[in-house]
Amino acid sequence: MELLLANHSSYPRIGDDADQQLLRRTITQRDKGEKNDADVRAAEAHLTELALAEQSAAGLQVVTDGLIRWYDPISHLTGKLAGVRINGLLRFFDTNCYFRQPVVHAKPQRGEPLLVEEFTFAKAHSSRPVKVVLTGPYTLARHSVEEKGGAGGFAKVLEAFTAALAEEVAALAAAGADLIQVEEPSLLKQPEDYPAVEQNLAALAARKGSAQLALAVYFGDPAPLYDKLQTLPVDLLVLDFTYSPSLVETVATRGTAKTLGLGLVDGRNTRLEDASGVARQLEKIAKARNPGRAYLNPSCGLEYLPRDRAQLKLHHLAAIQRVFLGRAA
Amino acid sequence: MSRAKLQRLGINLPLFPTTSVGSFPKPDFLMKARGEFAKKLISRAELEKAERQATEFWICKQEELGVDVLVDGEMYRGDMVAYFADNLEGFEIGGLVRSYGNRYYHKPIITGEVRWKGPITVDWWKYAQSLTRKPVKGMLTGPYTVMDWSFIESYPDRRAATLPLAREIRKEVEALIQAGAKIIQIDEPAVSVRPEELPVAIEAMHVVTDGLPAYFITHICYGAFEHIYPDMLNLPVDNFDLEMSNSGLDMLALFQKQRYTKDISFGVVDVHTHLVEAEPVVEQRLRQALETLPKEAIWVDPDCGLKTRTVDEAIAKMQALVRAAQALRTVTSDQ
Ligand SMILES: [Zn+2]
Repeated sequence: MELLLANHSSYPRIGDDADQQLLRRTITQRDKGEKNDADVRAAEAHLTELALAEQSAAGLQVVTDGLIRWYDPISHLTGKLAGVRINGLLRFFDTNCYFRQPVVHAKPQRGEPLLVEEFTFAKAHSSRPVKVVLTGPYTLARHSVEEKGGAGGFAKVLEAFTAALAEEVAALAAAGADLIQVEEPSLLKQPEDYPAVEQNLAALAARKGSAQLALAVYFGDPAPLYDKLQTLPVDLLVLDFTYSPSLVETVATRGTAKTLGLGLVDGRNTRLEDASGVARQLEKIAKARNPGRAYLNPSCGLEYLPRDRAQLKLHHLAAIQRVFLGRAA
Repeated sequence: MSRAKLQRLGINLPLFPTTSVGSFPKPDFLMKARGEFAKKLISRAELEKAERQATEFWICKQEELGVDVLVDGEMYRGDMVAYFADNLEGFEIGGLVRSYGNRYYHKPIITGEVRWKGPITVDWWKYAQSLTRKPVKGMLTGPYTVMDWSFIESYPDRRAATLPLAREIRKEVEALIQAGAKIIQIDEPAVSVRPEELPVAIEAMHVVTDGLPAYFITHICYGAFEHIYPDMLNLPVDNFDLEMSNSGLDMLALFQKQRYTKDISFGVVDVHTHLVEAEPVVEQRLRQALETLPKEAIWVDPDCGLKTRTVDEAIAKMQALVRAAQALRTVTSDQ
């Protein structure tokens, strides 16, 4: 098994030193009228460059822009769609992070690109391949509410989000994105909705061009769904192993038809995993049928950690990789 | 109901006792003092003086409004978990993590064996109680929530971190009781978020409260009660303080299906809106509660801590709920 290192998705947009606090400071000053939106965009660009540099310094082969510009995983995308208004704060799963809830008041429609500019910037400023991250239509719909007469029910909202994101996938592929990760954590909370997710992913996959499509699920145990996930129209599966006592065993016995993103390193806790323990899990997976290439990545986005700890986690990925390679040799 | 327990403890409360969830907004002079203290412009003692003044302000306000069970308003706290993490052994305060948008906080990291070093809230409770003859609640954050809102490095899993926290928080409860506190609230807002861990929270609450002579309240929020009801009734406390208004009183439908068996601090005003509820609106919410719950079981309070409101809004919301409770008291005792 060829083992590469990848970031999952988000990265902290603040840290302990003044330079790392530029974005927070600039937003505060903008809100007081002392700075303008262009200053905020410049600060976002600076923090994005810092995030890219820290990921590549940690030795990752695949990086992200850290989602530095995202207010949250839900409103950053839906807020740019016609027919959607952004409302008050709600808790994002069981994290202590909050998102702004979209209110669908008319059929959601994509009038402008959502992430193309952010991707183009990251690609231009990264020495490593950049993965684009997109919250999936199902998770967006599950976190939205609909006004009476908005779009005609949950299925319609989902359909409209899917259409908008499919256009975005096409635009990203055209802009040169090689790898697009669709995140559907809500699927693990409502596995019975699997058929809908399958349908949405097919719509996205139809527009991906030569890009590879990844599905990421986290904040729950994917083992019960593992066989079904393997049949989805995606190239990669990025899985959270931290909720599952049996997922390593499941992968080892079932093998895989997809490239796997192995979320064996907990993106939500500061504790560093025992490297040889994780290397042993990797060995089990390596012996499975058809492991080919796999990525080692955190179990979820790293914005739940303080920056110094997020950085340590990334360096820990490399340490685990060394132990794994050492044992294989 | 637990009226008998309160009487045994020497506490006589009217029908529909009024109280609040815990936090009140910090008056401007205290916000200024906190800012100056952060910039090292004033001493710890000067900050504490402002905190005592603000505590006195809120005790007087609650007396004036006619609230029955008072709180100190948490003028000395920044955040409900970091405050206890700062005062227990075994914690480090980690770097900044995002709460939402451009808001960040320092999330505690459990890096050692957690240990109670000595009383944390007792002096504040004594001070607040010295200012009034009405009962003042002791206010603590529960072990499950402290665990859930911290990173865990020195324990193998979440349960293994929760139980020692419970054992140490019990010592604070004992110290409050020793000082004379008879009503103690153990906040567990995180309990509703991972329903599969409710048994851990229940086990921990047993460790905190079993066999101790006090009337215990727990505050739970963030909705999603449908996943933990009725099992949550197994938390060994006398009174659940619940966010009812924010969710359009949806909980009452659950109570109709499965009988609610404890006292309840029934949240009758929404803390997330600037709008102050009119007294008849509050009274209507209470009347709805009465259709499902026995009157002896109902306490009246806001949905959650009022600290995010302005001082004036907080006072107005408390006034609306006190008046509604008083009005209903008159009507109900006539019947
Ligand atoms: Zn609350």
